[in-house]
Amino acid sequence: MASQEVLARLSQAVIAGEVEEAAALARQALAAGLDPLTCIEDGLTPGIVRVGDLFAAGDYYLPDLVIGAEAMKAALAVLEPALTQSARERKTWGRVVLGTVQGDLHEIGKTLVATLLTANGFEVIDLGVDQPAAAFVAAVRRSGARLVGASALLTTTMPRQAEIIRALEEAGLRTSVKVMVGGAPVTESWAAQIGADGYAPDAISAVALARRLIAAPD
Amino acid sequence: MPTIQPMRPRFRLEVLAAEQVAAIRSATLQVLETVGVHLPSPRALDIMAQHGARVDWQRQVVRLPPDLVVQAMGKAPRSYVLGGRAEGTALTLDGTCTYFATDGCGTETLDPQTGRPRRSCKEDVARMARVADALSSVAFYWPVVSAQDYGPLAPLHELDASFLNTVKHVQTETVMGAALARYAVEMARVIAGDEATLRARPPMSLLVCTIAPLAQDRAGIEGAMVMAEAGIPVGFMSMPNIGATAPATVAGALIVGNAEVVSAMVLIQLLVPGAPVYHSILASVMDPRSGEYIVSIPEKYLANAAAVQLAHDWGVPALGGAFGMDDVAPATWRLGQDSVYTALLVPLAGAEMVTGGGLLRASTLLVPEQLLFDDEIYHVHRRLLEGIDTSPESLAQEVISTVGPRGNFLAQGHTRRHIRHVWLPPLGHPAPVPAGQPTPEIRLRAQARLEQILAEHQPEPLPPAARAELQSILEAAARELAPAG
Repeated sequence: MASQEVLARLSQAVIAGEVEEAAALARQALAAGLDPLTCIEDGLTPGIVRVGDLFAAGDYYLPDLVIGAEAMKAALAVLEPALTQSARERKTWGRVVLGTVQGDLHEIGKTLVATLLTANGFEVIDLGVDQPAAAFVAAVRRSGARLVGASALLTTTMPRQAEIIRALEEAGLRTSVKVMVGGAPVTESWAAQIGADGYAPDAISAVALARRLIAAPD
Repeated sequence: MPTIQPMRPRFRLEVLAAEQVAAIRSATLQVLETVGVHLPSPRALDIMAQHGARVDWQRQVVRLPPDLVVQAMGKAPRSYVLGGRAEGTALTLDGTCTYFATDGCGTETLDPQTGRPRRSCKEDVARMARVADALSSVAFYWPVVSAQDYGPLAPLHELDASFLNTVKHVQTETVMGAALARYAVEMARVIAGDEATLRARPPMSLLVCTIAPLAQDRAGIEGAMVMAEAGIPVGFMSMPNIGATAPATVAGALIVGNAEVVSAMVLIQLLVPGAPVYHSILASVMDPRSGEYIVSIPEKYLANAAAVQLAHDWGVPALGGAFGMDDVAPATWRLGQDSVYTALLVPLAGAEMVTGGGLLRASTLLVPEQLLFDDEIYHVHRRLLEGIDTSPESLAQEVISTVGPRGNFLAQGHTRRHIRHVWLPPLGHPAPVPAGQPTPEIRLRAQARLEQILAEHQPEPLPPAARAELQSILEAAARELAPAG
């Protein structure tokens, strides 16, 4: 299979949201000796950029975006280990640690933000729900992430967002990481009050906020 | 004595035909049996297992056989009474009338001085409780905003502010976890006066939200179990978000919500057979362009009305959702238009209880005068749902005959008597002002009425002994749950 054709089919699999096809193509590409970084940068990335354009134009909706990102993730799962083996890394906008705070089991908002960040070129470490402040701190320390996103959906769990910021301060990490907060009861003034770096009311603005907070690709 | 004017609809509207209700019931039972619900409480899982449910302990998922569901739900009472702390505040939930409550639980209040939102506090809860006490559209009080000045004890302080400032029934949706629930029950017992009254006419009830899709909140469930054991009515509300936490169809969302709510009500029946419970589904739509939460949309109006039928299909009272619209600006055309649908459709469907007055921005922002607008819409609907009277007096044949062809009815005794029965909504149709003077803008008039209520209305105070008891409960809670401030 000619490499141009493989790259085009990888792009197309992302655009069409064909999860299994994307993974299969990635495996075929590796088996055929194609460079995994080229597959990502010239195959997957143009695909997800196209998905983003279609979304911005109002032709694609969130489910289309999410499925496209799933296809990309499936192919990345095949290609990234090959990259790591050759001691290379793909360029991303940066690493982000996301989670829902302790005592809170709501995940849809966080998951949506995770997907959109991934689709927009960030590397996301999604901790899941009910995460204590220590887990956020450990993930930042382990990954060198420059951005943390904490989600809370209850008035009773919102205070945990302030705990995360305090924990980062105590760990001496506060200055090396930006913190954004979100969730239905969360507001701009709450974010300011607890010393967060930003607040976003929905997943789309969360991506724009993440870009502003991180400021430049790695 | 407080005035409460419930709605007594003379006619009904069913958005679901009988076979549709049956299809949803059947699908719900199938989901409960084969897909299951996440129930992250070891105590609850134990109870389910003891009664024959299939428990996956690893995933904390419980699957319920249909027989178990139907038998358990058969024990739930179809009707019961919610109490207040004064005569005239008891609410009988039996489907013959609809009682409205304020909305909850916002986190910000629009400050009338600055016109900007600020964080909510206990004083907001107290103030709005007084307003609710004065308004006859409000039959029971949901603490409207979070008492954020009290940290983890906020739910108990919301109850305190409520009990002190209204004699009406208080329904809390923020008490979570067994520890807080125990203190809340103690507070309710003080208001009730004795154990028998606490159970027969509970001055407090609980609402717990589930987590869509198909999951329970651990603290919510554990608090609910404590409350149910104490005889406090508990209800469960699902809030399926169409396209995100529920399928992108109204029916699919109703099934997911129904399964969540029913699984929780079944648990309570297994724990305390015959415990008073209620059912609630408040749907929303995910804006597929942004992920934003939309409540002002037909799918939501339909789902909220249909949910009432589902509750009655299970033989329990329904809590429906109204108002609480998307917009942040009060007194706008859009807000008025949005408010009407649910506030009308849900009582038409026969809901015993309806929540929603007073908050904007999808129930997160308190705009105090909004409650006056919602009050007016409520009364318009109450009047509308009374229907048309066709008694001989109303048929008016005698006066028609008296006036005859041409002429007018102005000077007739019949007119003089009956025109006074036409209620003139004060915000929509203010009294005429002297010629040359402008009519004050509607929002200012609502604010003026609010200020008047706050200046003049004093709810029946709690006896000092009761106040002191509540205070010592709050202090005990602080020592146990929030030591060293």
